[in-house]
Amino acid sequence: MNKKAKEIMNTKLETISPNATVYDAIEKLIDKRIRSLLVVPENNEDEYGVVTIRNIIFNVIIPEIDPKNIKIKEIASRPVIAVSKDTHINEIYFLMKTNNIARVFVKEDERIIGVISFFDLLNYILVEKAKS
Amino acid sequence: MLKKLFGGGLEKQVLNFIDKYLETLHKATQCLHNLIKKEEIETSYCIENLEREADVLRREIIAKIYEGAFLPYLRPSLCNFIEILEKAFEYLKICAFEYRYLNQNIYSAIKNLCIQVAKINVEMCLILQKAFSSLENKKEDIREKNLAIRVCEKKIDELKMEIMESLRNCEVCAITNFWEGKNISEFIEALVSISDVIEDASDYLYILELSLK
Repeated sequence: MNKKAKEIMNTKLETISPNATVYDAIEKLIDKRIRSLLVVPENNEDEYGVVTIRNIIFNVIIPEIDPKNIKIKEIASRPVIAVSKDTHINEIYFLMKTNNIARVFVKEDERIIGVISFFDLLNYILVEKAKS
Repeated sequence: MLKKLFGGGLEKQVLNFIDKYLETLHKATQCLHNLIKKEEIETSYCIENLEREADVLRREIIAKIYEGAFLPYLRPSLCNFIEILEKAFEYLKICAFEYRYLNQNIYSAIKNLCIQVAKINVEMCLILQKAFSSLENKKEDIREKNLAIRVCEKKIDELKMEIMESLRNCEVCAITNFWEGKNISEFIEALVSISDVIEDASDYLYILELSLK
């Protein structure tokens, strides 16, 4: 696993405003068939966050809170775990395992430019194994 | 598996020719990748040369098969495998031809995405070569290679959507001329169809393996 984050990351990031409702997030997740959304910072002092289906189910759906009455910033996980684009895949795998997370974001300076999920890692491993 | 069951002279010749055919396809995809990445128009002619080489190999393969190589029930399958791959050469040729006439203002919006697609095509060809080698020698399970090819093809499908979106949302590269539009459309269609052909060929190899069991 000698590739770097920039070589396998997915640059198509789906984002959501922290002031959007959880219902907006649910609509977006279902329409795009994805499992998480990157929460963009509200201002220069704010930081990135992430909202996942898991967050929504355990913090909103199961407690039977109306998703139209709760904002994303109330349930988003912060800060996100992000690595530089030159980080090796082994380190990313280690981060996912120790933090028990399904995705790691990739940053350049302080801007998030991509994401590496379990699927991206799995696809990379499958293709490298087939090529070897 | 093929070598073990059919170790005759004619069969070995056919297998060698098929190996060379796959190697030629791999070289052609590398050629296309270099063409798109380095933007050297002269490189586009190498694909036509490789396609002619592949045609010669294809005729040799089919001739040897019908001279008596392999059992009759296997012959159509091997011929079909080669016929499927011939389409990849067609697409490579179209892609190289259309590239020469691309409007660079329009193309610049999708250049990086096209380079990614071409790179994945090269990887898929390499995996297909290894899959055929696995079938020949029964070294590894062909299913893993087949799955890897499907993963790559899915990635290309996603890139294709991104390319279409980029072209539609690009304000500076609005296509107003029919021939420019046709040119870029045929270039993209050919570029993304190569992976479809490789996936079909890989599925066919898998079916061939099942039929030999």
